[in-house]
Amino acid sequence: MSRIRLSRWLVAIPMALLALATVYPLLFTANVAMKTRRDYILDRFSLTDALRWENISTAWNSVGMGRYFVNSLLVVTSSVVLLLLFGSMAGFALSQLRFRGSTALFLGCLAGLFVPFQVIMVPLARIMADGGLIDTYPGLILVYVAQFLPFTVFLMTSYYKTIPPEIIDAARIDGNSVYGVYRRIMLPLGTPALLSVGILNALFCWNDVLMALVMMPSADHRTLMVGVTSLRGQYSDDIPTFASGVLIAAVPVLVVYLFLQRQIADGVAAGSTKG
Amino acid sequence: MKQRAMWSAVLVVGLALAGCGSATGKDSSPGGSKGKLVVWDWKSGEPSAKAYLEKAKADFAKKHPDVTVEFVAQPFDQYYTLLGAAIQSGKGPDVILFNGGGQIRDRVDALVPLDEYVAEDKQRLAGWDAFTKESKIYASPVTLQGHPIYYNKALYAKAGLDPDSPATTWSKFLADCGAIAKAGAKCFALGNKEGAGIQFWLSGLGSGILTAQEYDNWIAGKRDWTSPNVKRVFQLWKEAGDAGLNNEGANSTAMFNDSFALFQSAKAAHVIGLMSDVGHWKDFSEFLTPEKLGVMDAPVVTPGTTPSLAYDGGIGYGVAKWTKDPKVSADLVRALTSTDALKSFYADAGAIASDTTIDVSQGGPAVTTLVSEIKGGKPALHVALSSKTLDLMGRLSQQLLGGSITVDEAVKQLAASDQAG
Amino acid sequence: MPIGNVHPSVRPAQAGRTDGAAGSAPHRGVGRPRRARGLRSERLAPYILVAPAILIIVVMRLYPLLLGVNFSFTGDGDRNGMAVGLDNYLELFRAPLFRTALGNVGLLVLLLPVAVAIPGLLATFIYLRVPGHRVYRGVYFFPAVLSPVIVGGIFNLLLAFDGPLNAALGSVGIGAVDWLGDPDIAMFMVVGVHVWATFGMSLVVFLAGFATLDSALLDAARVDGASLPKVIWHVIIPGLSRTIQFVFVTTMIGMLTSMFGLLYVMTSGGPEGSTYLPEYYIWIQQGQMNRPALASAASTVLFVIMIVVGLLQIKLLKRAAREA
Repeated sequence: MSRIRLSRWLVAIPMALLALATVYPLLFTANVAMKTRRDYILDRFSLTDALRWENISTAWNSVGMGRYFVNSLLVVTSSVVLLLLFGSMAGFALSQLRFRGSTALFLGCLAGLFVPFQVIMVPLARIMADGGLIDTYPGLILVYVAQFLPFTVFLMTSYYKTIPPEIIDAARIDGNSVYGVYRRIMLPLGTPALLSVGILNALFCWNDVLMALVMMPSADHRTLMVGVTSLRGQYSDDIPTFASGVLIAAVPVLVVYLFLQRQIADGVAAGSTKG
Repeated sequence: MKQRAMWSAVLVVGLALAGCGSATGKDSSPGGSKGKLVVWDWKSGEPSAKAYLEKAKADFAKKHPDVTVEFVAQPFDQYYTLLGAAIQSGKGPDVILFNGGGQIRDRVDALVPLDEYVAEDKQRLAGWDAFTKESKIYASPVTLQGHPIYYNKALYAKAGLDPDSPATTWSKFLADCGAIAKAGAKCFALGNKEGAGIQFWLSGLGSGILTAQEYDNWIAGKRDWTSPNVKRVFQLWKEAGDAGLNNEGANSTAMFNDSFALFQSAKAAHVIGLMSDVGHWKDFSEFLTPEKLGVMDAPVVTPGTTPSLAYDGGIGYGVAKWTKDPKVSADLVRALTSTDALKSFYADAGAIASDTTIDVSQGGPAVTTLVSEIKGGKPALHVALSSKTLDLMGRLSQQLLGGSITVDEAVKQLAASDQAG
Repeated sequence: MPIGNVHPSVRPAQAGRTDGAAGSAPHRGVGRPRRARGLRSERLAPYILVAPAILIIVVMRLYPLLLGVNFSFTGDGDRNGMAVGLDNYLELFRAPLFRTALGNVGLLVLLLPVAVAIPGLLATFIYLRVPGHRVYRGVYFFPAVLSPVIVGGIFNLLLAFDGPLNAALGSVGIGAVDWLGDPDIAMFMVVGVHVWATFGMSLVVFLAGFATLDSALLDAARVDGASLPKVIWHVIIPGLSRTIQFVFVTTMIGMLTSMFGLLYVMTSGGPEGSTYLPEYYIWIQQGQMNRPALASAASTVLFVIMIVVGLLQIKLLKRAAREA
């Protein structure tokens, strides 16, 4: 006990340093966003001499970020909801139910995990174009769901494996159908995993540039990260404006994460008492 | 519990419907619809291009008032990959911005030859060669891109040199570099992280190293890699690195931003820069006012050579094969290269426009020198090389600076790559 | 569903908190569900639950992959659309750059345990309520919200030859190092930054995994006075074997497929081509070199490598878990 306590203090110091190192880039970006281009070229690291918000408004106004923000929100929430729904359904079936071909189906999902987007980018663009889905929101949502579903299925399957079969048996004895078990037992019990995989998926979708670029060629269908990326031209060296765009994209994610991580902590606590 | 599940179901359906709803009833094809032209570029998002685009649009609207034009600014990092995907799936923009040289020549299969549409512009604009393949024109030039040697006159004065008469021979140049080193600055600001430094070196200094005959043959595709002068280009590159003429860590210094920042902040006296976009007279002007910025010819290395400015067409607009009416798209290209529009591009974005009739006398001595040298200029040496050879040259140049390869071996590999392509 | 565990002999399948016991000691069906009601729909239920996921993955990932493989046997440029057999593959394996890229994949696989151990250890400390654990749990995730382009850009400045890291080294008398310009060092720097930028994600997965850990076991170990390494080795690692397996696979996938942004910004594949990865190679061939068919061949090779490495890993980990 006491030895553990001692080690706890020993690791606390490097962990605090690491925490500082993880916050630094964000502070650096915020600092740069407040500078003028001239100040930035002369000295990148010095503290800004004034809080200049005009870079932020330049970044916001130059490429219609408001519109892109809404696009991102729509696409990301839809994708995450669908991912969690399909992922938990498949995870439940693959972990707790016995049926012919389940291993093959699971391996099929896993294989999807090993397909990088670049590998299928061109054929997929053609399939989407043939299906009339290119440059539409459902098209991009579908691409995101397909991209991150293998990961989600894998995580949910692993997680649901840890739920004791007795719980499910008990629910079945109470007269629940398979769907009832899914809805009344698996979904609520899966909350911790659903939350963390949801956060990760939301982040992947939110930060994605490549898929959104390929699937959404029209300017007004763009997502926020694409808008931020397009702030940099071929050689553009207006780093403060770009840094402002980065902040615009990063801050909502941070806020959502900081809010949700309490939920995760609660979920973790709930999970460990139930387990 | 039941309620929660039901709510989530409602949410999913609602979102899915919202997703579908916003896409239906809208023209979802990226290009090719009748009343609309889609243009891809990496410029239109920048504030400095705004006036240029407005003028071009207004000019186009005079001829085709019923056709709307949509500019889609793509991030340059992904530009050619996205374009490749669009070409592959047959659904792309009508009008496309290209860099001159290999990038457009590799993709002419997807483009319409413009000769019949742009005949009237041929005299007024310069830089066509970079957009020509097998004597067919595939795009109209917007800017000219070249590789002049800029120098910092204030540093020259500080080192006790005459700011108005920079060295004309290589030996004098090396002596000047010695004086500059004593004054506490490096001779060259070099960024070779992307391997682009060697390209600028080759094109910036080549006219003082290769004989006129060798130069013309090189451009014409008859490159003699066994020539001692070709070898000297790479020999000097290595020597300059070994002698400490460059800033330290050149192989990890990015050309754009970093090496130009070194030059602007007077840590180095020379930089082989650009004429358009970035790294040029206008870009430097925040730190180096027009009086402080000089442009010099390449120092003569091989006696008997006449240094000339290396330049080509920089960027230009082409028309995609799948556009409904090539004539309409070509009219848009012509509007984008009209004198009026290009004038704003020159003034706001700081580019040497392809239109040589534009008056640049307000831009300061460096610009005036540049524009006066365009007449005697020649195509840049590195633009004649294939993308594959340029890629290899970048890596070899890093090895030369790092000392893990000999000049002979590097030239041998380049010759092999060039002759295979 | 662990791979190779093809025989879930009971229904519901055995849960296996410690998956070393998977497949053995079945809980004999505690009260079989009632048979009478809706037998047919009950039998179809698993398929209906799996259907959306399978359909999407097959149509939008595996089918395009097949098309891509098919495409890799055709030519580029003048030979566009023509069947060229194995030419693209032969060209790939002759290309020194692609070989460098494959060598770097090997390096990444070797560095993988480190990349997994770091977030694992940190999550353990947070779970054990190290002083300040709440703060750490929040801020460790910060780098993960920044896109690789930003992270790469910032580290470019920090690691520049005239940057602050070299200045700090200089002040204690150590000579400057060209962190990103030396071909022997640059790859390690890029991997290091990648780990730094992504460990927050693995941390979240680990923390979710801890939710499934039986805290009674941990308390028992603590009461017995077990040292921290012992607790980790005997309680946490076996208890989290499934999570660890998962993090291994996702970290590998992250390393092989999402380092592009960092490579692009930090080194552009250089110096001297030393930091090429297959993903970057694919990108360059597709975009800069306009060789889509060659890029498809490289993509196919990358896919095969990932499948092989991934399956090997899972096998090894399962064996390790069984022996632990």
